[in-house]
Amino acid sequence: MSDLTNTDYLEYLLKSLSIKSTESLSWLNQLRAQAIDRVSTQKLPTRRDEEWRFTDISPLTHLPYQPSKLECNLHAHDIEHLTLKEAKNRLVFVDGHYSQDLSTISDSAALVIGNLPAFVATHASILESHVGQYVQFDNNVFAALNTAFLRDGALIIVPKDIAISEPIHLLFIATQNEVTSYPRCLLIGEAGSNVTLIEDYVALQQATYITNSVTEISLAANAHAKHIRIQRESAQAFHLANCGVSLAHASNYQSVSISLGSHISRYNLDVRLTDEAAECVIDGLTLISDRQLADTHTCIDHMKPKGTSRQQHKCIVNDAAHAVFNGKIIVRPHAQRTNSSQSSRNLLLSKTAQVDTKPQLEIFADDVKCAHGATVGQLDEEEIFYLESRGLSPEVARNLLTFAFGAEIISRIPVSSLRQQLEQAVLNQTQSS
Amino acid sequence: MIDENSRTILSVQGLRASISGTEILKGIDLTVKSGEIHAIMGLNGSGKSTFAKVLAGHSAYEITGGSIQFEGNDLLKLPPEERARAGLFLAFQYPIEIPGVANTQFLRLAYNTVQTKRGKEELDPLEFDDFVREKMKLLDMKADFLDRSVNEGFSGGEKKRNEILQMALLEPKLSILDETDSGLDIDALKIVANGVNQIANNNNATILVTHYQRLLDYIVPDFVHVMQAGRIVMTGGKELALELETRGYDWVNVDKSVAGIIA
Amino acid sequence: MSFRLKAYQKWLTMPEPEWQNVHYPKIDFQSISYYSAPKPKQKLASMDEVDPELLRTFEKLGVPMHERAALAGVAVDVIFDSVSVATTYKEKLAEVGIIFCSISEAVQNHPELIQKYLGSVVPVGDNYFAALNSAVFTDGSFCFIPKGVKCPMDLSTYFRINTEGSGQFERTLIIAEEGSSVCYLEGCTAPRFDTNQLHAAVVELIALDNADIKYSTVQNWYAGDENGVGGIYNFVTKRGLAKGVNSRISWTQVETGSAITWKYPSCILRGDNSVGEFYSVAVTNNYQQADTGTKMIHLGKNTRSTIVSKGISAGHSNSSYRGLVRITPTAEGARNYSQCDSMLIGDQCGAHTFPYIQVHNSSAVVEHEASTSKIGEDQLFYFSQRNIDAEEAVSMIINGFCKDVFQQLPMEFAVEATKLLSFKLEGSVG
Repeated sequence: MSDLTNTDYLEYLLKSLSIKSTESLSWLNQLRAQAIDRVSTQKLPTRRDEEWRFTDISPLTHLPYQPSKLECNLHAHDIEHLTLKEAKNRLVFVDGHYSQDLSTISDSAALVIGNLPAFVATHASILESHVGQYVQFDNNVFAALNTAFLRDGALIIVPKDIAISEPIHLLFIATQNEVTSYPRCLLIGEAGSNVTLIEDYVALQQATYITNSVTEISLAANAHAKHIRIQRESAQAFHLANCGVSLAHASNYQSVSISLGSHISRYNLDVRLTDEAAECVIDGLTLISDRQLADTHTCIDHMKPKGTSRQQHKCIVNDAAHAVFNGKIIVRPHAQRTNSSQSSRNLLLSKTAQVDTKPQLEIFADDVKCAHGATVGQLDEEEIFYLESRGLSPEVARNLLTFAFGAEIISRIPVSSLRQQLEQAVLNQTQSS
Repeated sequence: MIDENSRTILSVQGLRASISGTEILKGIDLTVKSGEIHAIMGLNGSGKSTFAKVLAGHSAYEITGGSIQFEGNDLLKLPPEERARAGLFLAFQYPIEIPGVANTQFLRLAYNTVQTKRGKEELDPLEFDDFVREKMKLLDMKADFLDRSVNEGFSGGEKKRNEILQMALLEPKLSILDETDSGLDIDALKIVANGVNQIANNNNATILVTHYQRLLDYIVPDFVHVMQAGRIVMTGGKELALELETRGYDWVNVDKSVAGIIA
Repeated sequence: MSFRLKAYQKWLTMPEPEWQNVHYPKIDFQSISYYSAPKPKQKLASMDEVDPELLRTFEKLGVPMHERAALAGVAVDVIFDSVSVATTYKEKLAEVGIIFCSISEAVQNHPELIQKYLGSVVPVGDNYFAALNSAVFTDGSFCFIPKGVKCPMDLSTYFRINTEGSGQFERTLIIAEEGSSVCYLEGCTAPRFDTNQLHAAVVELIALDNADIKYSTVQNWYAGDENGVGGIYNFVTKRGLAKGVNSRISWTQVETGSAITWKYPSCILRGDNSVGEFYSVAVTNNYQQADTGTKMIHLGKNTRSTIVSKGISAGHSNSSYRGLVRITPTAEGARNYSQCDSMLIGDQCGAHTFPYIQVHNSSAVVEHEASTSKIGEDQLFYFSQRNIDAEEAVSMIINGFCKDVFQQLPMEFAVEATKLLSFKLEGSVG
């Protein structure tokens, strides 16, 4: 295998792209064309870019990852273990391509749900006003690539004042080796709606591939959304994800993202509080081992007054793994009475584990309450002593506290079967004897 | 509750301990027999909380002299968890919060670990649930308390009640209550005291570490010890606590000779 | 001097840094006269010959000088437009073996020390402004504390930029040998001019085994007027090497002046059990920009560092904390605690916090906390209820906010810093 240089790599990717002339809608083609244009003017980021300072993605260019092929040999029983019993609606994408056979849609009367192309004609104006609006690709080569390759994707529109009680499960399954898939999601919560969305990235085998995903979420006034994101890709995979969230007046966004898989993963989450009194709660857990690298960049942008944000990000890092957290909080001029807190807590379980954390505050308004904190370290000796004084052995005490460190984040997932699966994953990775 | 057949549970002789090179305990002697309730009083910084932690085996303290016998065995040889299994219980002044672990899980894990080590049967989740709910009545606790994370978001009173609940579950021979009264309103104090009184019997013993006499209105001690600068400087009956309440700790300094007489 | 040439060549190859959140017009380096000696060019023999106006400035700034210097027992080296004009108490210090003189004298009289240590902590090509300094530095202070000597008095340097359109490029080097200790004070002022002046100093500290260096700065360079015209660009490189075991380097700074400040007094904790400290108060008003913080590089075992940073922004100013805590794989058992608090006065200013925490050793414990707030209505109400007017109340609250830092300063400095703060923020609270 030959190393492709930066620009060659991108040109190579673009060559594999063919826009089908059958695509009728010009706005979508235009968006793709813009994205292609942006790809060609950008370079793959290197560690010289501040935003990629701790994450070297050059291994990505070592292999020519073709776009994934449209071939799906999976049957319902192959993915049974990946389904969640609480979810009545499930959209399944195999290597980025929508699979109607594997998907289950039971609420099509109450909401708009399905594969994006199916709605391009019927919902043109609403799609045009949302697609590509919340994840900007001008300075983001991966978002530009995703948009350039935009075809299938999950679309959910929750109409005004509709509350969907059961979670919606978006299952992205990787099966092919040495390919890139470009998953795409769009959630539009209309005024006063309420929904829980699970974005779930899994692999059926230990393949090497790239997932380059873009998720866009728009919540109108008083809309509520819970967004659960589980990244459990193959241990050799590359996962590059961008999520942009736009919050209108008094809307409420709660997100729990869990990163377990991938050789190298990067998750950018941008939340904009575009109107007054919006709220967000952003929780994250990274649990990695071996030589994994997981990088989470979040930006919470308080653009208008009276917004509230609370963020807690935790990393449990074992072996020679490397976790990166960069959390920015911006309070714009006049975004008075913003209340924002952020905490980054990191637990290193082995001598060779690494953490780089950079919580940032950028504040341009004076009547605000903002605080952030970061800790890196081991388990607290006082906590261990407390458990020992209740008769637990030092090992059990340590294991319990390590588990609890991760379980605190997992406990915020409102889907019990998923919670159990994840708790088990934490147990498997953190228990030493 | 002192009786003729009581046996010695704890015997501390000439105990000295230091933290980061600073000596905190400077020679403590104390004997506790079954059926007894002892109160250790003193100002902040007198070393009373350190004494409690040293008994439970906190690793930050270095033992520089003396001995501790617990039911005839050398306690200092044991790590904290084995002291707990042997029947020593410390109710923490500041109970630790463990977000992510449900209280019921934690209580059952602690209970079953101690049971197993004592050669008794473990309880499965259902059996344990019945058992713990019975004990919770003692402390007037709500059921949702079991599902919440250990001490997380608990009020001061709830934390202390959770400590006493653990004490009730683990059935210790010696309970040490470190400032259990601090931060409690009068109703919570009564509930906690009631719990402690119900657990106390002729086979076990209790040490109350406290700053104020208030707790002793509800849990009546057989002995009151006054600690100062790492030593027990005065010992008396329950009336000594009242004397301290009216005259203040300074009185101990002024009238050391009294100390000699009462002791 | 080959040191200079090497530096100049390096400087020419380096791009000017363009950092986020700090904006300044490009500096025309050719237009700055690199070395402007004060007009009366002859060396001043004693303090009596120092320009009385200068002494009055001292009085205003509160840097103890002259008679006050004698009373306070402080030895002072005066750097006037980069040229050392007077060093007091030299003889008395020499008795215990301490060398305290201008760096130009040290080059003459102690070349072996200069060669060994100059540029050893801040290499020539370290950064853009340090390279510039290395190439053109004119003078500065030199201080050498021999083995086992506790410096009997506080040493002090006073800097002043007097010539319009000039740059000041002084260099300070302090060496504390095994078991020695020294407390060093630095004061800076400049009168007002409409053009911007550049201050690109380099300070190097070296602490050997069990040595202790405490370096305090009160910086009140001219900040520009209320419209942001004029003022000093204060781009300073300060770094201490805690080279020996149990050594300790402590930076304390009160930054009130300059149009733009870029300054990150740092500690390289190489010796086992060495300690680094950084205490900072940065006050900005009008159109000032302060970007300050520290780097704590933990190399040795059981190294400890503490960072306390307080930023107060008023008017249209911006204040940033930018800090790095790096725990390298060799720094077994390292500990860091950082606290960065910001206070905003008015809704046109900004406060920013950029802590970089890099931990490559699992035995490390690193804690960072930061908060941003304004003076609470409740606090003001409490004061007014106790019959204290708003201006006074704000001053008290701000001094309380900065207390952790002020108590690190020597008494006289702390008193002056308090006054300076009140003066600086006068009228900014309505």
